[in-house]
Amino acid sequence: MDDTMDGVFLALGHSARRKIVDIVKSMPGCSVNDVTKYFEMSRIGVLKHLNVLEKAEMIVSRKKGRVRELYLNAAPIQLIYDRWTSEYAAFWASKAVDLKYRIEGVKK
Amino acid sequence: MSKSKKNITRVHIKGSLQEVWEALTKQGEPLPFFFGSVMHTTGLHSGAQIRMRTDCGKYTGVVGEILEVDPPHKFSHTFKFTHVDDPPCKVTYELREVDGGVEFTLISEDMPPDSRTEKDMVGGAQIITASLKGLIEDGRPPLKSRFINFMCKLTKFMTPAKCLTGNTPMD
Repeated sequence: MDDTMDGVFLALGHSARRKIVDIVKSMPGCSVNDVTKYFEMSRIGVLKHLNVLEKAEMIVSRKKGRVRELYLNAAPIQLIYDRWTSEYAAFWASKAVDLKYRIEGVKK
Repeated sequence: MSKSKKNITRVHIKGSLQEVWEALTKQGEPLPFFFGSVMHTTGLHSGAQIRMRTDCGKYTGVVGEILEVDPPHKFSHTFKFTHVDDPPCKVTYELREVDGGVEFTLISEDMPPDSRTEKDMVGGAQIITASLKGLIEDGRPPLKSRFINFMCKLTKFMTPAKCLTGNTPMD
């Protein structure tokens, strides 16, 4: 369990990789090329970050013909969440976060 | 590129392929990782009908047709919630032996974008995968799943009449 979590925290410890996760979440099934369009770095640079995310299983890829489709796998984050959050803590934490978003005017 | 019509959820489970397969395809008793529902089929083969029913049998939450059974690696069926009018989608469970256990992948696809089905499938996939992992590794699902199953039982009386088992009989 801890090895898996090390991978997830490592994967999320870089702004480019967090951005990749955001992109793949908003476009399930997108290709590496689709993701590359959002970055100034080279395709090889994006692939390097994708590899870290795939190793941590935050991103799962499926081959469809010659294209690799990318999907966000929410399970690793869910398992981290479950480890430290009880039902009641989740309720109050979510209320507090909602309040933060409301005050800051952030759309979820 | 499709807009959220497919969702993939993957976990690693410390256990044997056979163990995970048997838990996944067990019939006749409540499945703790599937909200305590009981799986009913007309046979574990393609073309057979499948229903997920409450343990008392009164309500049926999911109806479908089995598309593929390849023990202990792949199980796939169409999936339609009885409480909404969305068309059926498709679920596939893939099991792969890896170092230290089983890589378990749940794929939900053909979900109408922004539908209730999509929302429930995406949320449900996380609960199902985490619960199955807990069931195999610790002998019981995590507290959160047990809490959800308890709530399902408690709110059974609120189930809409369209989910009554009599509406979706098996041949």
